[in-house]
Amino acid sequence: MRRAGLIVAPCLLLAGCTTHLARLEPVRTAYFGGDIAAAERLVDEAIDSHASDADVLTLDKGLLALADGRPDEARRLLVTVRDRFDHLEQESPAEDAWSMLTDDRQRAYAGEDHERVLVRALAAVADLAAGGDDAEALALQAAEKQGEIVAAAVADDGTNPKSGYRPVALAPYLRGILREATHRDYDDAARHYATVASWEPGYAPARDDVVRAGGGVHSAPGHGVVHLVALVGHGPCKVVVEEVPSSAALLVADQILSATLAQSLPPTIAPIRVPRVVAAPGRVRAVAVGRAAGAGWTTAGRTTTITDVSRMAVEQDAAVHDLAVGRAVARRALKKATVFGVKEGIGLDRFGPAALLFDVAGVAWEAAENADTRCWGLLPDSVQVLRLELPVGDHTLALCAVDEAGRAVGSSVARSVSVEDGRNAYLVVTAVDAGIIGGAAAVDR
Amino acid sequence: MLRRTFVALPLVACLAGCRGQRQFARFVAPGDRLMMGSHQAGSETFAPLVDEAVAKLLARHAEAPVQQVSYDAEGRPLPCPPKRICFVGVENKSAEDIGDFKDELYEVIDARILDSAVFAPLNRRFVEAGLRATRIRPDELCVPQRMRDFAAHLEREGEPIDYLLYATLTSGTTRENRDYERSYRLSLELVDVRSGAYDKQSADITKGYHHSRLSRWRASR
Repeated sequence: MRRAGLIVAPCLLLAGCTTHLARLEPVRTAYFGGDIAAAERLVDEAIDSHASDADVLTLDKGLLALADGRPDEARRLLVTVRDRFDHLEQESPAEDAWSMLTDDRQRAYAGEDHERVLVRALAAVADLAAGGDDAEALALQAAEKQGEIVAAAVADDGTNPKSGYRPVALAPYLRGILREATHRDYDDAARHYATVASWEPGYAPARDDVVRAGGGVHSAPGHGVVHLVALVGHGPCKVVVEEVPSSAALLVADQILSATLAQSLPPTIAPIRVPRVVAAPGRVRAVAVGRAAGAGWTTAGRTTTITDVSRMAVEQDAAVHDLAVGRAVARRALKKATVFGVKEGIGLDRFGPAALLFDVAGVAWEAAENADTRCWGLLPDSVQVLRLELPVGDHTLALCAVDEAGRAVGSSVARSVSVEDGRNAYLVVTAVDAGIIGGAAAVDR
Repeated sequence: MLRRTFVALPLVACLAGCRGQRQFARFVAPGDRLMMGSHQAGSETFAPLVDEAVAKLLARHAEAPVQQVSYDAEGRPLPCPPKRICFVGVENKSAEDIGDFKDELYEVIDARILDSAVFAPLNRRFVEAGLRATRIRPDELCVPQRMRDFAAHLEREGEPIDYLLYATLTSGTTRENRDYERSYRLSLELVDVRSGAYDKQSADITKGYHHSRLSRWRASR
């Protein structure tokens, strides 16, 4: 009993370590509540206090800048993290070895697979809003990156856990609208729209896009096109889950081995914890758009999901979850083997106080592990788009976040956009539970 | 000796365990070995296709008999001005997404034609502005009325044209179990906007894609 008490105490002491999720929660609350300034302040404080998480927090900073109408800054921040992730995704045997002795939080964070693709796609969106020239290159990189991630996961036996990954249809969509606006590369546009239709079958307007690019024109004479890109809802985040079956199995295994080996093994008291991506979409489901018509407004349309971020992240996490559990179990086995080896090496008495101390230390070592919950916490639930063909001139659009039943969430906001003959204009907005937040950017190319 | 080993071993272990350096780059000089696209065509395929197709087209028209129609004040014949050509664009009808190569192909072909002095290509920006203003799709330019509308628009803008030029990339794939061969063809079509008569030159390259080194070695024997 006394032995058990000595062993349990360290677990209780170590179980309360702060995770990234705990730091992220107030940021998410502020952002999704519409308080961008407070969210930015909290992110800056988190970057100052946890420099090792600076990359992933910079992603959040990028989306805050985009929501606040600073797309140029958003693009710069996202591209910076893209380059960092490219560097960090290389294997580091030293870091891998160290993480096996500690936990996955000790590894440099190179982004989850969906984050590495979305950082490029959303940088392309920011570039469009900023009036830059890199949007097509960034969208191409997003498409290439997702192909590269899947191709790199082929196992020796030919299986590929990532082969079922849901691709990011936003990337070919952006390439399609940019190519169509040249009035020359309709063949490319048709090809990209066909890819969108194949990757995101739920995106119904893709059929119209394919038909138009295949035989129509960008817009009627005297008209231009406004592309509304909306970052809608609350994106996924990582929570800590306890792998009870694995922990119980490991406990039984180390009890069996302790009974048969010359030395006891530290019992698996601290449960195995792994991260799991969960969706928390919030209330907003789309953005309804109205156009000023005389003294009133007419409905112009409603945004449609082109990339379901939450679904993609959850599915991708499920595809590789077993690998995360396997790594955690291997880490536990390594720690138990290390304690056993040291006890055996110095020839401790199996039932002596020193052996007990080693077991206590072993349990404490295991209990010090925690799941790596670092993630891009301010991602939207979905990226949605709406194409509006409008006559040349200045227009005022009324934007309103709506819920599942089509009821308004928050108040509607007006945004001005200028349309030029035969050209695209872009409007990027963020819709959360507080409604449409921050400033939207509109540019003409 | 033991002490030296003691110091050296952790150092070697640290260096071996470090994450690689940031990406490196080099200039590829003419004549250097080019990378070979392992899954799709790259510059190793497109560069010779463009070279051959453009050279064939220019050679044919450089040799064309010239009818002298103007003379200077002293009665000496003036050189015939180069034909005004509107390079409409590169159409990708191959099985591959050529990514950022499309604009590259356009620029290379355009620059080659401009350098040749056989034709005087219309600036790309005029072409795009013309297509935008008339809302004519490039594939509709083959409809006689649409072609005349487009030529008339350019003439009104002070950029008359004699020919339309289309570049089309196509491919054909032959499969053998897990390996496949893909033949790429770049066709250049020159259409006289007045008569509708056309000339066509093309270049072909076939490339094999193999699932293993052994397979590639066996195919190249």
